[in-house]
Amino acid sequence: MRYTLDIYRRLILVQIRSQLQYRASFLLDTLAAGFMNGISFLSLALILQRFEGIGGWSLAEVAFLYGMVETAFGIMDMLFSGFDPGNFGRYVRLGAFDQLLLRPIGVTLQVFGSQFVIRRLGRIAQGLAVLFFAATNLNIHWTLLKLLYMPVVLTSLVCFFGGLFMVGATITFWTVESIEVVNIFTYGGSEMMAYPMHIYPDWMRRFFTFVIPAIFLNYAPALYFLDKSDPLGLPPFAAFLAPVAGAATLLAATLFWNYGLRHYQSTGT
Amino acid sequence: MGAISLLALICPAAAMRLFFELFKRSFQRAVTYRAATIAGLLTNLFFGLLRAAVMVALYGARPDVSGLSLQAAITFTGVSQAIIACLNLFGSYEIMESVSSGEIAADLLKPYSYFGMWMARDLGRSVSNFVLRGLVLMVGYAALFRITAPTTIVQWLALLVALVLAWAVSFAWRFLVNLAAFWSPEARGIGRMAFGVTMFLSGFLWPLRFFPDWFVSLCNLTPFPAMVNTVIEVYLGGVSGPALAQALLTQAIWLVILIVVAQLVMRAGVRRLVIQGG
Repeated sequence: MRYTLDIYRRLILVQIRSQLQYRASFLLDTLAAGFMNGISFLSLALILQRFEGIGGWSLAEVAFLYGMVETAFGIMDMLFSGFDPGNFGRYVRLGAFDQLLLRPIGVTLQVFGSQFVIRRLGRIAQGLAVLFFAATNLNIHWTLLKLLYMPVVLTSLVCFFGGLFMVGATITFWTVESIEVVNIFTYGGSEMMAYPMHIYPDWMRRFFTFVIPAIFLNYAPALYFLDKSDPLGLPPFAAFLAPVAGAATLLAATLFWNYGLRHYQSTGT
Repeated sequence: MGAISLLALICPAAAMRLFFELFKRSFQRAVTYRAATIAGLLTNLFFGLLRAAVMVALYGARPDVSGLSLQAAITFTGVSQAIIACLNLFGSYEIMESVSSGEIAADLLKPYSYFGMWMARDLGRSVSNFVLRGLVLMVGYAALFRITAPTTIVQWLALLVALVLAWAVSFAWRFLVNLAAFWSPEARGIGRMAFGVTMFLSGFLWPLRFFPDWFVSLCNLTPFPAMVNTVIEVYLGGVSGPALAQALLTQAIWLVILIVVAQLVMRAGVRRLVIQGG
């Protein structure tokens, strides 16, 4: 374990050092990422102002959902970029993945350590800024439990999105090309979770409850944090299922990934 | 457009023929990847349904917002999802890749315009995506929702013109952004930023009429609304008569501006281009 962590640390340090070589481009990229997500939130805010909220939720309440998702997705995208289906698909297609199989370290560790995208800090910062905006504009009754649970939810969200990336990467073992459908789960999931879940048609919400447990990672905890009444009639403990849902997604993804590794056949290029 | 226009002067038929051949190849290539097309179609449709659900919730009991009925707003989500693939709204990076890889050297030696060559290829892919992803998605939408459609023949013709102009503006803009590769090894980052801004200021995510005036004026200083919002407005019948003519003219003006700028930048870029031998 110690050895594994040491290798991971080294891989990441190499990544950081190489990305900081081009300082100007790194700064520009980080600012650009933050700026873009800034416009994205600005346009959502203008729309919600125009329509005076959505489904009974105010702009600040939606900002809470949005901020959580953005922050977690940003952190995940920094850590799990090695599994980003687009990048990973190219790896598999070009046969570069085969090189990893020849090295005397675990493949998962190598993929995990192959990317550490620090420019995502821009997106994370913007996510945190939106969360801050939400917190200052809402009258959240903070309790000790809420304060302790907040980082747990964020961590669970990171695991959840990371698991989705791993599933997307695993699929490319068979398809070779990264497939656009995976975006439904990753980007579609994060987009959908930025709004209160009760606005969606039943089939869509069921999909993001039972197939992909997204509802337990954002909507249900948000009801608890914001003391909102629940129009869906979820059980009261649903708000506390975030760590279960996050861990389960990551675990299932890891099992699928290992299965994919065992059945991997090189493209031969 | 240097060489292609020269060729067009000497022998217009040959230039047309060349353009058509490049177009045909690229069309055939796009049609070949059936699984990718279906996957892309499903993804576009899913995001459309998601956005339609958000529209329904936003409208609530309102019959009408900024002159758009809920039905029109749902139609908007369909049209904007349908044109993603054919107008390449998420951006393209092929030209910058050919600059960084040096492949561009071979292309520049060929006796036709670099701009024209990519334009023909882009058109091929766009037309195939228009049919396979655009039209099919709209048919799916028509099956799921009560959507609106243009009613008069003038509106249909205007829609066609607006779409072609939107594609041309989008292409010229993407070409220009890709030329960043002449100056920066990190052109991808510049592209990501440029195409991201395009998404937000073009009226893709939300119809521009939902926004306050200052935001719309800001968007109108850019060529981006000419890529999406004009098409949407023409489709929904939001502009007619002189306003319609003005909207199409604005698209044409942006097209000319972008082409001229792209040509100038291209010339400056080629002058400093160094290809590593090998």
